[in-house]
Amino acid sequence: MTTKREPEAALSVLPKSDGSARYSYAGYTVTASVNGPIEAQRRDEHAYEAHVDVIVRPAAGVGGTRERHLETILQASLIQLILVKNFPRSLIQIVLQVEASPENDYVNTKLMQASLNSAVIPALLQTAVLALLSAAIPMRATATSAIVAVMTQDGASRLVAHPSPREIEAAQSVHVLAFTSQDGLLLAESEGDFTVKEWDDVYDTAKKICCKSGATKGEGIEMVLDEQEDSGPDMRQFLRSALETKVAADLHWK
Amino acid sequence: MPREAEPSLNERQFVLKALEENLRLDGRTFDKYRALALTFGDEYGVADVTLGRTRVLAKTSAEVTVPYADRPLDGIFTITTELSPMASPAFEINRPTETEILLSRLLEKTVRRSGAMDTESLCLVAGQKCWSVRVDVHVLSHDGNLTDAACFAVVAALRHFRKPDTSMEGGVLTVYTPAEREPVPLSWLHSPFCITWCFFGDEGQMALLDATWSEEQVRVGSCTISLNRHGEICQIAKLGGTPVEAVALLQCTNVALTKAKEFSTYLDKKLAEDAKRRDKDGLMAELSAENDR
Amino acid sequence: MATENPLVLPGDEIDPSLIPTHKTKPLRLGPGLRHVPPNQILPTLAGHLIADHRKNALYVEYNGGRYIPSPSDLVIGQVTRSAADLYYVNLTPYTPNASLPHLAFEGATKKTRPQLANGALVYARISLANRHMDPELECVSTSTGKSEGLGPLTGGMVFDISLGLARRLLMARSRDVGKVAVLELLGAEGLAFETAVGRNGKVWVNSESVKTVVVVGRALKETDEKELGVEQQKKLVQKLIKEMR
Repeated sequence: MTTKREPEAALSVLPKSDGSARYSYAGYTVTASVNGPIEAQRRDEHAYEAHVDVIVRPAAGVGGTRERHLETILQASLIQLILVKNFPRSLIQIVLQVEASPENDYVNTKLMQASLNSAVIPALLQTAVLALLSAAIPMRATATSAIVAVMTQDGASRLVAHPSPREIEAAQSVHVLAFTSQDGLLLAESEGDFTVKEWDDVYDTAKKICCKSGATKGEGIEMVLDEQEDSGPDMRQFLRSALETKVAADLHWK
Repeated sequence: MPREAEPSLNERQFVLKALEENLRLDGRTFDKYRALALTFGDEYGVADVTLGRTRVLAKTSAEVTVPYADRPLDGIFTITTELSPMASPAFEINRPTETEILLSRLLEKTVRRSGAMDTESLCLVAGQKCWSVRVDVHVLSHDGNLTDAACFAVVAALRHFRKPDTSMEGGVLTVYTPAEREPVPLSWLHSPFCITWCFFGDEGQMALLDATWSEEQVRVGSCTISLNRHGEICQIAKLGGTPVEAVALLQCTNVALTKAKEFSTYLDKKLAEDAKRRDKDGLMAELSAENDR
Repeated sequence: MATENPLVLPGDEIDPSLIPTHKTKPLRLGPGLRHVPPNQILPTLAGHLIADHRKNALYVEYNGGRYIPSPSDLVIGQVTRSAADLYYVNLTPYTPNASLPHLAFEGATKKTRPQLANGALVYARISLANRHMDPELECVSTSTGKSEGLGPLTGGMVFDISLGLARRLLMARSRDVGKVAVLELLGAEGLAFETAVGRNGKVWVNSESVKTVVVVGRALKETDEKELGVEQQKKLVQKLIKEMR
């Protein structure tokens, strides 16, 4: 079932964690829990900052090198967002459990997915950000991310935003980018063969997807994305509405 | 790894005093389970079980591999339970705690050793190829009674799972993709469930079913009974703790049978609902490649 | 679009018209906001932006997360061990212990001080808290020398509640402003009990009758988890009293 539904999110789903979130979109479902600031191990303590520990667990199997790589990427991004200087010598622990990945019914893959590919990064990052907001960990900004694939057809290259698993398999290169709520580039991971020009186009496309509410910031006439009609949901608006529901419930008594 | 917080003296004394007056903190009776909810995922073999505030997710997966040399006619079946800091910051990956080891051992005895699933049916080519079925148990939230919830999730996930259909023609094994042929269920013999009793009081005289995390912290002993709805016991584990009267233990086993039957009915109902949901146009009967025998 | 109390996310720009101004008082920033020199105010948490024009303060209202010790807060802690002249008291799980001097009790001298066993509960005030040091507690007011209700809590039971509910219970007018009336309603029904509320998300309840304590505990937990309004709290209390009798 690889239907591209609207993204869905629920916050504070785990009662015993300081903060948690469950997010699903494009076939991926991830649950994240955040605990912190708590006591860090001696070996992980930093004198003036909090230590951010990210753990990624795949649905099937125990996870190996690929998961460690994803953890490193996410940790580097989340450290930019969290105000780590507020909690010296502490630990902020983020655990991301992948519950479901999109299936490809036409390929006889080994049914055991022992490792995740980079297409899961946007889902992981989004869930982590939602869980951090639910845990009320002070942050500098929020972030949104997108995947863009570059496919070659008859010699010409074509950008595909929100590619399906089949498109990802067949693509020439796959790129994952994330932007902060202040429009800064937070994360850029690319796989495959591509030119610098292609990367620039990918950057522009991804920026439009992630920073869609830039329309109110005086951009004048919206640039028209002709070939692909503005596909995909407005991630920033989605983030905001997910939080609105939660905050309204929390502050129902006011 | 930060140490788990100990309950305060006030809590310990109060829980005991309340139990002496037949009161539990959440108003349940001593032999009542918390609200049990089971949801299946979109994929086959994913079961999400909530027992009060405890939440466990079990995911089944299968791949074709080489069988063990000393058991060439059997497939491979493993259950992994790795507790992560999601369940509690006191757990660390790769450093198993007592809770984790005991949980893993109980599931092993209950589901694997009791022959709930027929491993011979997993054999594809004797001595060369077989299915390796693997269930990963993820604990998302730990509010007591992980054993019962995890066992229920594992059994539900295995009964829900479908492995790809295969055929052997002239020594060549073909594994069909889900798009070519509808996957088939595993060969399941019986459904065991774990029922855990916790004991309180100086002589272990008060017994509670389905303890919450705070109740577990002040218990003096516990006993896990694994059995199926026919009353066949897979294992009974009372690992240390205050000695309990034998008669009381027998009574616990009797109540456990009632609970196992309840679990079994609930699971059957949920599986039927899920099958109906997937089989919207009655196509399942046509797609199945099984012959009527 | 300056709506009253808008939802803000970390890093959002704040509409300048929402920031209160005052002739003489400087602008005070409460929890959830930080000042980025020279003149930017940015939210750090997700919640409603509230402006208090009377005190000329701006803050973000939110619920959730873990308790961060801050000075003058009243908290309920658990004694983990005793050292030379301090007790080590734990306020939240998995965090370093706070310290409580042996003599920080009313009228305490080396010979007549309260002896607290490991696992005992204390109701204390935070005297020192900053991010670089472990927090410090006291059970006596340094100015008056009186305990003012602080000190060891014996008997009874302690329940965990969310930080938001703890804050509402500690408000001066918890029924009108905080909209939490459960305790008053239970008392009005004839139940006799005493409570102590810790800002770190803990409520201690004690009574002669064990049943009363259990009922109070359940009432608080349900009010918290199901986010009940005052009317619903009344119904909950009725239901629990009926079950009890």
